[in-house]
Amino acid sequence: MIEVKYFGAVAEKTKCEFEKLSFSEELSLQKLLQDLNEKYEFESLTFSVAVNQKIVSKASDYTLQTTDIVALLPPFAGG
Amino acid sequence: MKESTRYNRQTILPEIGGDGQQKISKSKVLVIGAGGLGASILPYLAGAGVGEIGIVDDDVIDVSNLHRQVIYETSAVGKSKAEEAKLMISELNPEIKVSAFSEKLSGKNAISLFEKYDIIVDATDNISIKYLINDACLVTNKPMVYGSIFRFQGQVSVFNYQNGPTYRCLYPDENLNALNCEDAGVIGVSVGIIGMFQANEVLKMILGIGEVLSGKILVYNTLKNEQQKYDFDRSDFQTISREAFEEKYNKCVIEEVSFDSVLDEINNDAVLFLDVRNIDESPKIALNNQIQIPLMNVEKEIEKLNKNQKIYVFCQSGIRSKMAVELLQKHQFENVKSIAGGVLAMKKLLQEIKI
Repeated sequence: MIEVKYFGAVAEKTKCEFEKLSFSEELSLQKLLQDLNEKYEFESLTFSVAVNQKIVSKASDYTLQTTDIVALLPPFAGG
Repeated sequence: MKESTRYNRQTILPEIGGDGQQKISKSKVLVIGAGGLGASILPYLAGAGVGEIGIVDDDVIDVSNLHRQVIYETSAVGKSKAEEAKLMISELNPEIKVSAFSEKLSGKNAISLFEKYDIIVDATDNISIKYLINDACLVTNKPMVYGSIFRFQGQVSVFNYQNGPTYRCLYPDENLNALNCEDAGVIGVSVGIIGMFQANEVLKMILGIGEVLSGKILVYNTLKNEQQKYDFDRSDFQTISREAFEEKYNKCVIEEVSFDSVLDEINNDAVLFLDVRNIDESPKIALNNQIQIPLMNVEKEIEKLNKNQKIYVFCQSGIRSKMAVELLQKHQFENVKSIAGGVLAMKKLLQEIKI
């Protein structure tokens, strides 16, 4: 199980602030993001991605570990 | 001394003391945006005794701002935010210097404004301005204290601090879709909390105490009282030179129009046709709403022209007119266009329609 956290406008799309996902095969970060995008249709939303509190490249082929926490952080604009 | 009494409760902190107060009173901070974030940042910086504070905002106070922009009075609705904020914080602390800039931050004024200050605070509600602030901070080598809100969540970070990562390192894609407060909704305390985090980072940098949020973004959830910090690295691809800045923000776009597309305006008194050829050049053109100022005299005789008027500039072939448009744009003329092909194209058309 990995945990995925959603913030701001991304959480509006997912309608939850976090979820736990299980996966059987090896899963890369890039593939996880593709799957989430298909599931939630983020479309024009921009966000940065963190793994274990560290912002990483979205194109990373990093293989997710079961204890990883992924976060999707869109920029905010209010003030 | 009166001054030491004013700051006594903070100077007795061992982390501040008299030396720290000296640092605060010598510091210069520019706050971009006098909205919800600014309304919480400005009084605290002024109260702490920040020696020079600049406020940039071209907006006026609207009654719908007052629930969160709590430094303004209802009687000030319709007045300039920058001027009113200046009044308020000068009253709070008359010992500091406050400058109000009731203008929109742009590629034209950002660098000269930033150069006068040590720390730049982003209290705006607009993503494209955040990129502009970031880029101007890179060019002038100033730290940028970022804060923004989405409903009950806020983000805070300090960019470009001692060569640390920038806004573009965190958000490289310049996507301008994020919702601001007007569209997403917000409650005053949320912006107040995030603004307070920003003011705190400003004072930490001035005093050299604590850990500055450089290379880290703090995300705060006011409903859950949860906060998390995320680390990010500097990307060398995200720097910007002065030349690249000018190219991106200040490139003159000279608009050309064909004469036939403006033909129906040749008798419109609100429009001016400006002939920049020399007096002795022919063929002559005599439109009703036309004046002639040779290109070499345009700058000298610029007071003959009205910045707010729509002006079509022409010359013999359409080259000097483009130079004139560029020149006028540099003098803040916004509605000037060049007639493509110049008199040679115009004459042909005027003959065809027998004007």
